[in-house]
Amino acid sequence: MTYYVTTLLVYAAVDILACLAISLQFGVSGIVNFSFIIFQAAGAYTAAVLSLPRDTANGGFQTYILGLNLSFPIPWIAATLVGALLAPPIGLVVLRRLRSDYQAIAMLVLSVIASLVVTNTPAFLDGAAGLALVPQPLSDKFNPYSDGYHWAYTAGALVLAVIVFFIVQRIINSPYGRSLRAMRENEVAAKALGKNAVAMKMSVFVVGGAIAGLSGAILVGFITTWAPSTWLYPETLILFAAVIVGGRGNNYGAVLGALLVPVGFEEATRYLPTFGPPGLIPALEWVCIGGLILGFLWFRPRGVLPEQRRVFAARPKPIEATEQYAGRD
Amino acid sequence: MSLIVAAFGFGLVSMSIIAISAVGFTMQFGITNMINLAYGQVMIASAYAAYAVNNAGVSIWLALPVGAVFGAVFSFLLNRLIYAPFQRKGTNLIGMVIISLAVSLVIANVMLPIVGYYSVSYHQNPGTTYHLGSIALTGAQLAIIAVAVVVMLAIYALLRFTRLGKAMRATAANPTLARNCGIPTARVVDLAWLITGALCGVAGTVAGMNSDSFSVASGSEFLIPIIAASILGGAGSPYGAMIGAVLIGEMTEISAAIISPEYKQVVAFAVLVLVMVLRPQGLLAKRGALAAAG
Repeated sequence: MTYYVTTLLVYAAVDILACLAISLQFGVSGIVNFSFIIFQAAGAYTAAVLSLPRDTANGGFQTYILGLNLSFPIPWIAATLVGALLAPPIGLVVLRRLRSDYQAIAMLVLSVIASLVVTNTPAFLDGAAGLALVPQPLSDKFNPYSDGYHWAYTAGALVLAVIVFFIVQRIINSPYGRSLRAMRENEVAAKALGKNAVAMKMSVFVVGGAIAGLSGAILVGFITTWAPSTWLYPETLILFAAVIVGGRGNNYGAVLGALLVPVGFEEATRYLPTFGPPGLIPALEWVCIGGLILGFLWFRPRGVLPEQRRVFAARPKPIEATEQYAGRD
Repeated sequence: MSLIVAAFGFGLVSMSIIAISAVGFTMQFGITNMINLAYGQVMIASAYAAYAVNNAGVSIWLALPVGAVFGAVFSFLLNRLIYAPFQRKGTNLIGMVIISLAVSLVIANVMLPIVGYYSVSYHQNPGTTYHLGSIALTGAQLAIIAVAVVVMLAIYALLRFTRLGKAMRATAANPTLARNCGIPTARVVDLAWLITGALCGVAGTVAGMNSDSFSVASGSEFLIPIIAASILGGAGSPYGAMIGAVLIGEMTEISAAIISPEYKQVVAFAVLVLVMVLRPQGLLAKRGALAAAG
């Protein structure tokens, strides 16, 4: 029971982090990052290979690079950094000159290719089999199988999610966030006002990448395995579904979406009686995710908790109506 | 060396398949301003439609038109029922990309329980193998090349010599102006989806014929060389897509011979990245991928 609840909460924390990042990129800034999941994967792999011992340990049943056996906070910090550092090279190719829908398909193709490369290069990150037996943080000091450890891990993950929530909240409420929204609404106008759209997109890409990397590290530290099958490109679409359902551009919406879609779906199918041939339920689940996106974009494109319309608190005093403006108000 | 020459021969087949599919993909984009990411899934669905007929004992060559008709009707309905309503609603480009990806996911997963998880292959007789130096191609492969040549000529004739082709080009260039000149753009768009859908169906079926087996998962594999060829040639330009298909087809097959077949798609992707950095508008198109065009 403890294990069930803590697993649920850790997944919730990871999905909340991911949805906050997507909400910042897609909801606030209008960048459709279809390769989002590879940032999470990069973080997870980084945390894994930094905390695993050399690949000759454990009888050498898996092959991977590094294997530095570093202790706790370092792999997580490195995962965050790698997520952030992965953003500039991708952003430089994709975000500079391309039209917005091209950016999206370029990143989609990148996501497919990255998974292909990792799968076909066993010496790099153990190919399709993936990494297993990743040591859990501080497992040398505490017993990672105890209830207390699970609860502590969950609490840590949730605290990180809350911290990131406030950071993202801070970003989108700042003047900088206002510039981001201006860019989303009308990029040409934002540029005309002297805003550097490429730099703004790039910075959002980096921040989102860092959050994604951290979320990957949290996840892999808990489930201790990571393989290409966990980061196929449709996974990104689930997160987009979550943000669209919750309400893009609204952090509360992102949290709600994370709880409703990735977490909710996983839990709903757990209690469903098995029916049909094996694989039918996952297939139907994907159909529902697709249907959810289409349905929400059609009926409620702004989501359950729409982004707040930002208005000035006090209206400036009306200017004396001159003849020119009379009757316009 | 003979290995590379042989790969060149396979490249001819690859480029034929990519050309048929990429021309359809790029025309959908050019005429309707819509990147249809469900294209690969429609290809696979058509391949399975042809498989159903083929499995009932009909020759694959007679099943090919079935695949084409299926692809045409499927694409037409997809546009009428989903894409066009969203476009009318004013959904932006980004929204449309997300929608088409969601549609692709739905198609793939509706198909899975129906057609099953295992790969299937057509019942076909590859025919005698013809040799030219180190190039060895089966009769079926030569026929695929012939189909591609015929289709390319037909598309050229359609766009160059018919009123419909002219109307399509006008609609692609400026839909509002075309409508104001009395061109029934709605009907042109419908016909464009039917024609490109038929190309998609033919491409799916011949792709299935050329590979040992295919499954639902092949849909996204198909899409990468198609996107690469379309963007390389200049998105929206059918002739550009043909040039792109020739280059991508040969490059992927020759690199498969030199490096490893697993990295075929990676080569296609590397070309895509180079094009996006150096010439985002592609070889032929004047605007296309560049920002602020649409």
